[in-house]
Amino acid sequence: MERKALITRSMVAMILLSIAMVFSPAVNSLPGGIGGDTIQSAGCNCHNSFPSSDVIASLEGLPEEYNVSETYPIVVSFTGGPPEAGVNAGGFNLWSSGGEFSVIDATVQARSPGEVTHTEVGNDYREWSLEWTAPSHGRDVDFILHVNSVNGDDGNGGGLDEWNRLDLTVAGSLGPGLEQADPYKVLGTLIIISVILLAATILYGFYRVNPDNFDWEHLAPWIVDWLTSTDHKKVGTLYFVASLFFLGIGGIMAMMIRIQLAAPGLNFISQDQYNQFFTLHGTTMIFLAAMPMINGFANWIVPLQIGAPDLALPRINALSFWLQPFAALLIFTGVFTGQGADTGWTGYAPYVVSEGAHTGVTMWVAGQIMLVASSTLTGINFLTTMAVMRAEGMGWMQMPLFTWSILVANLMLFLSIPAFGVGLIQVYLDRTVSTAFYDIGAGGDPLLWSHLFWYFGHPEVYVVIVPAFGVISEVLATSARRSVFGYRSMVYAMAGIGIVSFIVYGHHMFTSGMSPSLRFVTMLTTMLVAVPTGIKIFNWLKTMHGGSLVYRTHTLWALGFLVTFTLGGISGMFFPSMAMDVHLHETYFVVAHFHYVLVGGTVFGFFSAIYYWYPKMTGRMMDERLGTLHFLTAFVSYNGIFWPMHRLGVVGMARRQHTYFITTEDFNHLPEWAADWNLFISVSAFLFFFSNFIMIANMLISLVRGQKAPADPWGGWSFEWMTSSPPPTPSFGRFDGEKWHDLPVLRDANEHIANEPGAFASWFNRLMVPENEEEVGH
Amino acid sequence: MNDHDDHYHHIEPWGPHDWGHGAPHNSFSPFFLSLGVAVFLFAFAQAWEYGTYNPGHIPAILVGLGIIGFSMFIWWRQDISFDGSYEPLSTGTPFRKIEIRKVSVWVFLMSEMMVFTSLFSTYMRYRLGISNCNTVFERGMFDPVTNPTGWQEGVAVTCFEPASHLIASSWWHLAPGAINTFALIISSFTVVQALRYAKMPDLDHDVRTKKVFRYLASTWALAIIFLTLKMVEWFVGFYVPEIHLGPIHIHEHDIISLVNEGYTINADHYQHHSYVDHDTGAHMVADIQVSASLFYVTTGTHGAHVAGGIIGLSYMTYKAWKGLYTPLNAVSIEYFGLYWHFVDLIWVLVFPFFYLY
Repeated sequence: MERKALITRSMVAMILLSIAMVFSPAVNSLPGGIGGDTIQSAGCNCHNSFPSSDVIASLEGLPEEYNVSETYPIVVSFTGGPPEAGVNAGGFNLWSSGGEFSVIDATVQARSPGEVTHTEVGNDYREWSLEWTAPSHGRDVDFILHVNSVNGDDGNGGGLDEWNRLDLTVAGSLGPGLEQADPYKVLGTLIIISVILLAATILYGFYRVNPDNFDWEHLAPWIVDWLTSTDHKKVGTLYFVASLFFLGIGGIMAMMIRIQLAAPGLNFISQDQYNQFFTLHGTTMIFLAAMPMINGFANWIVPLQIGAPDLALPRINALSFWLQPFAALLIFTGVFTGQGADTGWTGYAPYVVSEGAHTGVTMWVAGQIMLVASSTLTGINFLTTMAVMRAEGMGWMQMPLFTWSILVANLMLFLSIPAFGVGLIQVYLDRTVSTAFYDIGAGGDPLLWSHLFWYFGHPEVYVVIVPAFGVISEVLATSARRSVFGYRSMVYAMAGIGIVSFIVYGHHMFTSGMSPSLRFVTMLTTMLVAVPTGIKIFNWLKTMHGGSLVYRTHTLWALGFLVTFTLGGISGMFFPSMAMDVHLHETYFVVAHFHYVLVGGTVFGFFSAIYYWYPKMTGRMMDERLGTLHFLTAFVSYNGIFWPMHRLGVVGMARRQHTYFITTEDFNHLPEWAADWNLFISVSAFLFFFSNFIMIANMLISLVRGQKAPADPWGGWSFEWMTSSPPPTPSFGRFDGEKWHDLPVLRDANEHIANEPGAFASWFNRLMVPENEEEVGH
Repeated sequence: MNDHDDHYHHIEPWGPHDWGHGAPHNSFSPFFLSLGVAVFLFAFAQAWEYGTYNPGHIPAILVGLGIIGFSMFIWWRQDISFDGSYEPLSTGTPFRKIEIRKVSVWVFLMSEMMVFTSLFSTYMRYRLGISNCNTVFERGMFDPVTNPTGWQEGVAVTCFEPASHLIASSWWHLAPGAINTFALIISSFTVVQALRYAKMPDLDHDVRTKKVFRYLASTWALAIIFLTLKMVEWFVGFYVPEIHLGPIHIHEHDIISLVNEGYTINADHYQHHSYVDHDTGAHMVADIQVSASLFYVTTGTHGAHVAGGIIGLSYMTYKAWKGLYTPLNAVSIEYFGLYWHFVDLIWVLVFPFFYLY
């Protein structure tokens, strides 16, 4: 099939799926029977909705304790009702939290496996028979029966009616061999399997390079080389592999969370375990997956883009990397003793220093201290590299946008992470030598932690998104076969995001009781973030508008990024508005928002980067068909996960709760359809999880069988496309023991960037040392 | 891959680098440094849990420190062959012709600035947010009618007790701080002198070696003095002799030492002997953990920077003794000097905030 036709059809299919997704909740018909979204929580609404204790509902045939998977015949009936003349008859609705109902005659219909009601035929009865098959999990099952007793048959709204409700719980017994899986064991097993798979992949990779050399004498030096290398490309690859590995581990945790949330009232993961899982999911994804992914590309691409032979401090660079795996070991230490960190990735005080928190919190903090050290060293390295090692003739305003984005990200990270580090050290000392920084009894202030954390935390979320902006700028410009629209405004927009990021963090603390005037200021500054971001979106659209877009896989991901990131940005605009924030705080709306920007933004951006720079890194082209398949499955399933979460959040589904209820008067009960959507989300989550293995497979297959990549497969024009694929070591130039030779100069590359400085830039340039020494004389 | 590979790719992860070939080199140092830090942080958290001390884990802490030391040893072993000929210079505006590593030290100091800014923010939060113990004491004893906000005998009040209140009470406790201040300032001078002589082009090599060694060794000694006085102040205290002559005299508010006084992070029943009501003889019991935590952690963070400097200086002094500093290879003293000046500068802030005010 023609590529264009394939893409067009895929796009149409995607649009149809998206439309179907929006409308599917409306496709819901009830020919008869009692039902509705709120029956379990708000009561019966079929006629006039008078609850009355005169009506006595009864549910017969259920055992005290059910046997797993056994079928029980049950009888629903009622007596009593409005006292006037006539026979009281009516309808019912029966819901159970587990098992399946089956219908045995035409008077009863199933609305879902867990809910039955009467049919039109079965209306005006007092007794109905049906069957219930007990679930296989053996846990307690709740039943809720609503009966409506109508006096006479005057049609809806006519006669008098009264309804009542019956709650019943049936205990279950676990049959032999049907023990519940221990989530720790599941997680542990999956992590071990991942490690084994990773090791096997590495061994296979070594074997493929040269099958004759597959022995210890050759393997040992090869491994030692990887353990000790200070070459920016090798360290970048290490970052990259580590990040994909932890993306998988974080993903496994997400999947376990989704299993738990697939249906209401489940207890696969207890609240205590759930706390650890979402804590580690967040920490893993932010610090061990997203940041290393960014660092991997920064390591690989930044020196290549600015024409530098290596980073400024190669050994420090290796140290930045190696701190991470050991930090990961510390972070995960607690989990397998059942005592992992359970504080949330924010680690709010005073819980984080209390003895009530798990002992693993100390290790989690210790690991993060190492990650802070790692990020600081990375920041030093990259800022220095970009400041001092640019190719001859490459001014600040000639740097490619990806390099600019790494500059802005590292500057933000670098200026904010020490606050987090100091906070972590304070917590670490509080938990070990018993200092009293966050001990309320001794006068400590928990809000101080929030300040230190969010002073770092908010720039941090931009740290992970801004590099994705850089990637998208590169990819869209190359794919549209033109220079990026508004290069200078792109730079200023990124710098603007960087500056504003430091004065917006208060919006994370709106519900902490901060001063109203400060809240107002933070609200304004937060909304201000939309301006530079909007400029960027506009510039990307304009880049495509003026160009001629080539649909490669990386282009598809970039386009996907534009959609999802914009949606995430729009949902983000709800939070600065305080009234909205107080309502949406700690709900799935927040979860939806930050996953839209972190997955739809950062992860999609870096998926694009993988497809874009993979040929440069490995010298092999990736398979475009598998890439398109990956994009389609992942993009659709991704939206299937997070789009419904907005709705769940608006109706009040709380995040950080291990389960939810849709029927009882329990805390935070949700409308009935919440269960359906949660199941839909869980299924989508699994699809998304597995669809990413298409990319992993694609990478591995392409590594072995891919076409040889030319130096510049996409027609890009920044420096990295001037080296061979993969690039030599050192990446540019040659060192003869005294000085470097043959370093590139900017005129080697097409001058594709608007070079005329604007008013501000020319003023700024005047502060700089002249680029050419000849100019000194003038 | 190509000819460059063999030439530039040195798999000598333990041994001295061949700097004539330029970067990159292989090194085991980052791997072991990370491992050591992880072991140390792990063992430290096992050895102390909420102030409970479990001595059984001390060997593990030592193992962690040992691995860190071993990694530093590898690092230095690789570095000692560095003679300055491979000193990469900046090519980008506005730092043209400046040594790359010097720029990186400046960038590093930028983040260090944020570390101490955060600590001082914590200080400001608590110093301004918790009422001072003196103020609380001056409110007088509790009385349900006349003085409902007063303190009560035997009931701990949470208040901020600045270490300066204890230290500034006597020259015996302030003097070591002052000595420390001057020790650091002088050491900043000696390190610059070391750089000056190392850079002096027309100096005889032996003379230069001797001068550089002596100045670096003095810097080292001054830093040791600083840290020793600090450790004594923290853990032992300066015992006031029984003399009543001249400006040195004991008055009743004098303390023996911070520890003796109970100014520790674990003391939630701290009684300073100036907090005694003259009329009734009642003691005000104060909970000063937050102020003590701040004092020990802030001065401790600074002390850790000094200790780090001492470790670096030990290596540099050794290298100077070996005569390896030449005008071409003098800049690393400058890099250290930048850091050292910064540590000095921080002390100039820490000292007034924690010792004087």
